[in-house]
Amino acid sequence: MGLFSGKKVIKDDWSTMSTVIKAEAKLQSLGEITPSRRAGVIYRNDEKNLFQCDIKNELNSILYEGKGSTKTSFEIEDDDRGMRWIVLEDGKFGDLVSSVYTVGNAIGMNDGADNLLAAVFELYFTGTVEDNTYRSSLRTYWIYRYDRKAFYPFVPTGESEGERDRPTEARLGQDLRKHGLTIEKSLTEWMGLWGIPF
Amino acid sequence: MTSTTTRKFHKDRGLVSRMYFTMFMLGFLYAVFALFLMAAGMQMIFIGGIVGIMVVVQYYMSDKLILMSTGAKTVTAEQQPSLHKMVKLLADRYEMPMPKVAVIDTAIPNAFATGRNPKNALVAVTTGIQERLSERELQAVIGHELAHVANRDMRVLAVANFLVTVTSFLMTMLFWNMLFGGMGGRRNNSGGGVMMVYLVTMIVYFIGQLLVLALTRYREYGADHTGAEISGDPGALADALEKISGTVAGIPDKDLRKLQTANAFLIIPAALKGEGSMNLFSTHPPLQERVKRLRELEQRMRYGLK
Repeated sequence: MGLFSGKKVIKDDWSTMSTVIKAEAKLQSLGEITPSRRAGVIYRNDEKNLFQCDIKNELNSILYEGKGSTKTSFEIEDDDRGMRWIVLEDGKFGDLVSSVYTVGNAIGMNDGADNLLAAVFELYFTGTVEDNTYRSSLRTYWIYRYDRKAFYPFVPTGESEGERDRPTEARLGQDLRKHGLTIEKSLTEWMGLWGIPF
Repeated sequence: MTSTTTRKFHKDRGLVSRMYFTMFMLGFLYAVFALFLMAAGMQMIFIGGIVGIMVVVQYYMSDKLILMSTGAKTVTAEQQPSLHKMVKLLADRYEMPMPKVAVIDTAIPNAFATGRNPKNALVAVTTGIQERLSERELQAVIGHELAHVANRDMRVLAVANFLVTVTSFLMTMLFWNMLFGGMGGRRNNSGGGVMMVYLVTMIVYFIGQLLVLALTRYREYGADHTGAEISGDPGALADALEKISGTVAGIPDKDLRKLQTANAFLIIPAALKGEGSMNLFSTHPPLQERVKRLRELEQRMRYGLK
């Protein structure tokens, strides 16, 4: 159905994704956010796709070889919903973001743009939310949806679908927008990812 | 009129999907029913007639079907005096008779109108939208819904959908023909010829759905515009839309991984959209675009431009 779907162009993901570095730095200086070392890229694995079949070697050469490579370590995990995760770990937040972008970009450039679902960053939040309750070092995820080219926060409170901390998400969403992150405008698109493997 | 229906508890989500589902199931029912009659060896003309009657019944019953599928309950002026007053005031401005007023007990903010003409109209709001919006904003939302009634959007879309339904019925018939060859009159169609007809029907069906979609979009902007002219305050609806889409209740229960499989079925609810009612939040046109147009209209009105 070429009329609507079209090929997703992922070239401009970096301009949006890179804003997360600045927003994170600002919120960290305000004492609201501490980054973890982890992030991930989730996609629907296509067994007919040559690049995806050889993902381990491909990512090894992209992340480790060559000048200026970030040397971010990674692991491959399949979840029980038929999706594949590339879980990345790096102590430098800037490098982590750059590696996440690189992994997504490599999958996209090798005929997998339609397989890409989201990039996910893990960060800890401390602060007061709407209903005047306090959150201390609460684990949050910042999800970047490739099809929407925008971020939104996700704070699961359990493993099953629908269990999420909406007040914290709303608060975090406002703060992130204020600090220059492109936040998904339509709240109904803030879909969760329960059971993130990191 | 007193309500004798027992109170039902619905989950807070899926108001719209329930509506679509009902409409989809009705369409499915027609197809199965028609196939059954055909298998029983009934003449085409009768089958056509029966399906026609069913479509007409659906058209005239749509408000009741919608009430049933959404769990909306009509409320009297005594039960909801301020809501009734607001609807009355707006209906007077549109110079239409007072529509039925219904409330849906759910925290999800939404509103819709239904009815084949202003005499048989119904406007429904959820308790969630009543709680969340200011009087000015709620008035704008109801004004938008009544604009659908005044513009006779339900009828326009019912006709459009009827044409798509007829086409899909033809499709079913041809498919039947292709599988088992000939029903009633025996024609010397080659397999390729039947395939060709089937293909063309499918293309027509697809284009028909695109047209219905475009029509829905156009009617949505139209209702925004009409509503704004009646109230003289386009900003109110823009505020309401932004407020609702920006509230915590809008954050979904859905998992992102479900999105890819759901996409394949998008076309079905799209085609059935607006068959019986006009919902405040059809996904087409996008909310941002509607808000943008309303804000522009607000500017033009403020500076006296037309």
